[in-house]
Amino acid sequence: MTPILDAVNLSKSFGGLQAAKAVSLHASAGETVGIIGPNGAGKTTLFNLLTNEIKPDEGSVTLDGINIDRLAIHQRVKIGLARTYQVPRPFSKLTVRENIRVSMMPDSILGMLHNGKDLDHEQRIAESVGFSERQLDQLPSELAMGDLRKLELARTLATDPKLLLLDEVFAGLTYGEIEQISKLLVKRKETHGTTYMIVSHDLKSLAPLVDRVIVIHGGSVLMQGTFDEVVGDPQVQDAYLGTGGGEAR
Amino acid sequence: MNMLNSPTGRGIIGWVVFAAIMLVLPYFVTTGIIRTFVFALYLAIFGISWDIMSGRTGYISFGHPFLIGIGGYTSALLTYHLAWPLYVTIPIAVVVTMIGGTLFFVPALRIRGTYFALVTLAFMELIYGLVQVIAPDVTGGTRGLSGLTSIAKGAIPNYYLALSVVLILGFSLWLLIRTRIGIALSAIGMDEDAVRASGINVTKLKLFTFMLSAFAAGLGGAMYVHYLGSIAPRALFDVGFLFQILVACLLGGAGTITGPIAGAFFLTFLLEWLRPYFPGPERYLIYGVVALWLYVQQPNGLHELTRMAVNWVRGLILRRKPA
Repeated sequence: MTPILDAVNLSKSFGGLQAAKAVSLHASAGETVGIIGPNGAGKTTLFNLLTNEIKPDEGSVTLDGINIDRLAIHQRVKIGLARTYQVPRPFSKLTVRENIRVSMMPDSILGMLHNGKDLDHEQRIAESVGFSERQLDQLPSELAMGDLRKLELARTLATDPKLLLLDEVFAGLTYGEIEQISKLLVKRKETHGTTYMIVSHDLKSLAPLVDRVIVIHGGSVLMQGTFDEVVGDPQVQDAYLGTGGGEAR
Repeated sequence: MNMLNSPTGRGIIGWVVFAAIMLVLPYFVTTGIIRTFVFALYLAIFGISWDIMSGRTGYISFGHPFLIGIGGYTSALLTYHLAWPLYVTIPIAVVVTMIGGTLFFVPALRIRGTYFALVTLAFMELIYGLVQVIAPDVTGGTRGLSGLTSIAKGAIPNYYLALSVVLILGFSLWLLIRTRIGIALSAIGMDEDAVRASGINVTKLKLFTFMLSAFAAGLGGAMYVHYLGSIAPRALFDVGFLFQILVACLLGGAGTITGPIAGAFFLTFLLEWLRPYFPGPERYLIYGVVALWLYVQQPNGLHELTRMAVNWVRGLILRRKPA
């Protein structure tokens, strides 16, 4: 399989704290990679480095064979690298539909001027994450946490990503919602060949989705392997679950 | 009937009605009232200019008089010293103001919110000092310049001139914010980083609206000084002038383009009607209290009040209609 993402030696320090220490990782096209690690391990920082929200001190990122080190955040999104945020960040005074519309806009003033808003497409994306038609005209303040996560996902799907970085997508969702989102991710992978990197504390929900898991600890890659390999590893249990292991939730 | 069913359609009807009333107005009111309308129209142009930069994006400009002043001074100096005709100097003034607008854009790359407002306020104070210190024999120093070329003779031609700018500029920018650009600008005001993460070049979009704003400020400023016939630093680079623009926009409803026009009319006539009763500066105290009270009652401004009124009337009509 060809690597869609290849990050080499990403490092970042904030003052004395080294949040990323020469992290190298890759993802193959169509693969689903889980990223786990204790709080403060540097998982979200890693996402920020990949999207360029934080500029790495060192290291290089290649997306689909192209070096993207010089590309700004919005340019990376346009070539297919999108993310969700751990804390949903909807546009508070725009409706669900309009929130999705922002992500579907072309990045050119002339393009935006053309009244090419695609109502059907907006609706399809909203419904694919489980919004009802009635919810399309609601404001984020009227939505429950689960719906905000769905909106976050819908906004990223609307950018048509090749590689989607999902930061704690399952947090605050009911089992039914987790199942719905998981199904959606699997279905999209089949139709679009989307690659996922999923940060999650919810190992039970992560397990059936991932092909491979990378454990981050103290800003570097502790180990990687299949879900069972990683979770069974005493080193990982020591770092992530506390000595002695236990329930995976 | 189809037009009545979409907000844009109803808006266009609103514009047509507004234009029609304004076009025939000089036949029904006194020249004195027309003169007041000219001031209201210029304030509307400045309000539109402020609104397209600050109304949606959250980049609140406290330095709009800086842009208006650049436009005014550029045209004033070129006509006064070189005797160039207005049809040459006004376009030059617009271009120079747009270059000045890029100075606003530089801090906007790094700072937001209150700090941006303060930096733009500093721009205004800076140029207030500069025109007095640097080459006062050219700029006229503190006293400014008077006896400038008139843009039109008489109240009514000036009225139609200013009106045409408000109608053309206002309607074009109103149409603009009804495209997806308007939504993108609102989104910038809510969470700029999230707009970036949606794949939109925020910097480019900000530069675009700043240039539109500077265009309107430069055009309005240059025309305004040739309407007044004089220019002086304290008349333009003044906090009182700035507040009139801000109050017009906030009272009318920021981010709507039509709101600032309504706000400018309301404010100008309020001040004018108060004049006989309160000739002194206490007039500004009263207008401040009225503005504050209205703003507290409806933070979305006259625009929102009108919308509510229109919906209420529509509701009455639709209910009466047999099914």
